[in-house]
Amino acid sequence: MSTPVPGTVAAGGPVAGDAAPLVAEGVTLAYDGADVVHDLTLAVPRASFTVVIGPNGCGKSTLLRALARTLRPRSGRVLLEGRPIDGLRPKEVARRLALLPQSPVTPEAITVADLVARGRYPHQRLLRPWSASDAVAVAEAMAATEVADLAARPVADLSGGQRQRVWLAMALAQGTDLLLLDEPTTYLDIAHGVEVMDLLARLHDEGRTLVAVLHDLNQAARYATHLVAMRDGRVVAQGAPEDVVTETLVHEVFGLACRVVPDPETGTPLVVPRRRARG
Amino acid sequence: MSVLARPAPPGSVAPLQRPGGAGRRRSVVVVAAGVAVTLATAFASLLLGRLGLTPGEVLDVLGGGGTRIQRWAVLTDRLPRVAVGALAGAAFAVAGALLQSVTRNPLGSPDVIGLGSGAAAGAAAAGLVWPGIVPVPVGALLGAAVAVAAVWLGTGRGFAAPLRMVVAGIAVGAMALALVELALARASREDALDIATWIHGSLAARGREDVAVVGLALLVLLPLALALSRPLAAVEMGDDVATGLGVPPGRTRGLGVVLAVALTGSAVSVAGPVAFVALTAPQIARRLTGATGPGVGAAAAVGAAVLVLADQVAQRAVPGTPYPVGVVTGALGGVYLALLLVREWRRSAA
Repeated sequence: MSTPVPGTVAAGGPVAGDAAPLVAEGVTLAYDGADVVHDLTLAVPRASFTVVIGPNGCGKSTLLRALARTLRPRSGRVLLEGRPIDGLRPKEVARRLALLPQSPVTPEAITVADLVARGRYPHQRLLRPWSASDAVAVAEAMAATEVADLAARPVADLSGGQRQRVWLAMALAQGTDLLLLDEPTTYLDIAHGVEVMDLLARLHDEGRTLVAVLHDLNQAARYATHLVAMRDGRVVAQGAPEDVVTETLVHEVFGLACRVVPDPETGTPLVVPRRRARG
Repeated sequence: MSVLARPAPPGSVAPLQRPGGAGRRRSVVVVAAGVAVTLATAFASLLLGRLGLTPGEVLDVLGGGGTRIQRWAVLTDRLPRVAVGALAGAAFAVAGALLQSVTRNPLGSPDVIGLGSGAAAGAAAAGLVWPGIVPVPVGALLGAAVAVAAVWLGTGRGFAAPLRMVVAGIAVGAMALALVELALARASREDALDIATWIHGSLAARGREDVAVVGLALLVLLPLALALSRPLAAVEMGDDVATGLGVPPGRTRGLGVVLAVALTGSAVSVAGPVAFVALTAPQIARRLTGATGPGVGAAAAVGAAVLVLADQVAQRAVPGTPYPVGVVTGALGGVYLALLLVREWRRSAA
């Protein structure tokens, strides 16, 4: 896994310049016949840290699932580097795009190193199951997420924050430029949540394109380079956090009266809910 | 962990050993030990019996010599029996390993969810009720397929609910055995006697054609099962993780079930629905190897050893009264099944 440079794609892929590496084109997404997302178009800018926000049930996780091809659109299509994702071989997609889902299942008794190594599956073939480049990618992924010291420990024995970093290491070991994350901080306390977000910011700084669904608006505004606000299955606004996170928009999207002030640490927008008059 | 260090530049990180090292090495040891136990038991089984052969005489027969009666005892009577035992044991165990991986639960074994009984009903139908339409092994295959479909539909949630699966499996198994009883009632006295032994799982009076059936099935299906191991291990981490790694979860599960059905069908058609080898052998293998994933190879070796050992116990535990091997595996496996059920019950009650 070489450190990618912004604007390039992983080795072996067609270089699409600055065109969006991942595009949802007029997708309608449904569970059991009920539409959750209607005719939505979204381009993920290359080398961005794109964060999707919105109230519960707005379809943000559903959209992420479609981008990661774990949910097939009812109509419309998803393009990976300009090509329909459904037409690509599953392993080929997995060499370009990694996914950290919300609740992965940890196999019984698996160690950290073994779990991270499973991220190399898309690079392996039946008769050549393990190579030196796999070993290097796994070691680097564990170093980047600071889990190398835990390599021999069973994953089940770790804390929630450590476990999340191990799963992130598995996704990193895939060696993709695109990384999709579904609420990566939801089950973590505030310190471990910040730790994971800082780690994601660093992975973005190294040139990867990240797409995350987040619950916490302030976290989103702080770390995103491209913020997408959704409501009722539609994109309401997108752009730089300073442009998107306004008092009007927060009220429109979340139905919350608030003030937006500059974050004293970073200068990014900080949402402060207004005090409700008590009867 | 407060401050995150910068990642090391590429190339400066010492390459790890191949992951799964310990589990992988232990798997090799377990496979070797299973094969050794199977071969040793097989050789012992060629010696033992009314004729009382010495090792030298057996080797002589295997080398092409010996008297006519010695040749009959070893090559026609004993060798096919132990060969069918080893091959069917491996087939049951691999089917168990695959289905346990697909259902993410040891209770998802072919013998617990009625697959073995279904295969028995199919075999009885093909052999007794409508003889000559399809060969017995094909009947067993169809029976296993119908049983697995019935369980899948019967739970209402596919293979995602272990306890429901067991309950549906009991119902399917009972219906299948009722069909076998029906076939028995209609059969001639002689056929019925054969079937009555076979229905408990028996290796008595096996012939070379039985060795060929299960041997050919394993020759084709075992490599496929081994190839499916890693995709199945990915699916064990959840459908989304598997998809992210480039493994299509639905297709992988479907292939796993098809292979398990085919392996169970071929084993049942030659050995009868031997109880609980499919349930216990993969779990024994897993405890021994400490490895993750379905563990197909180790399960096969342990399954072969378990079934040939159990058959020796069944034949010789009570002198002069040989029992069908399924009685032994059923008694031992039943205890293990009870333990599993108690654990599952506590887990779902918690």
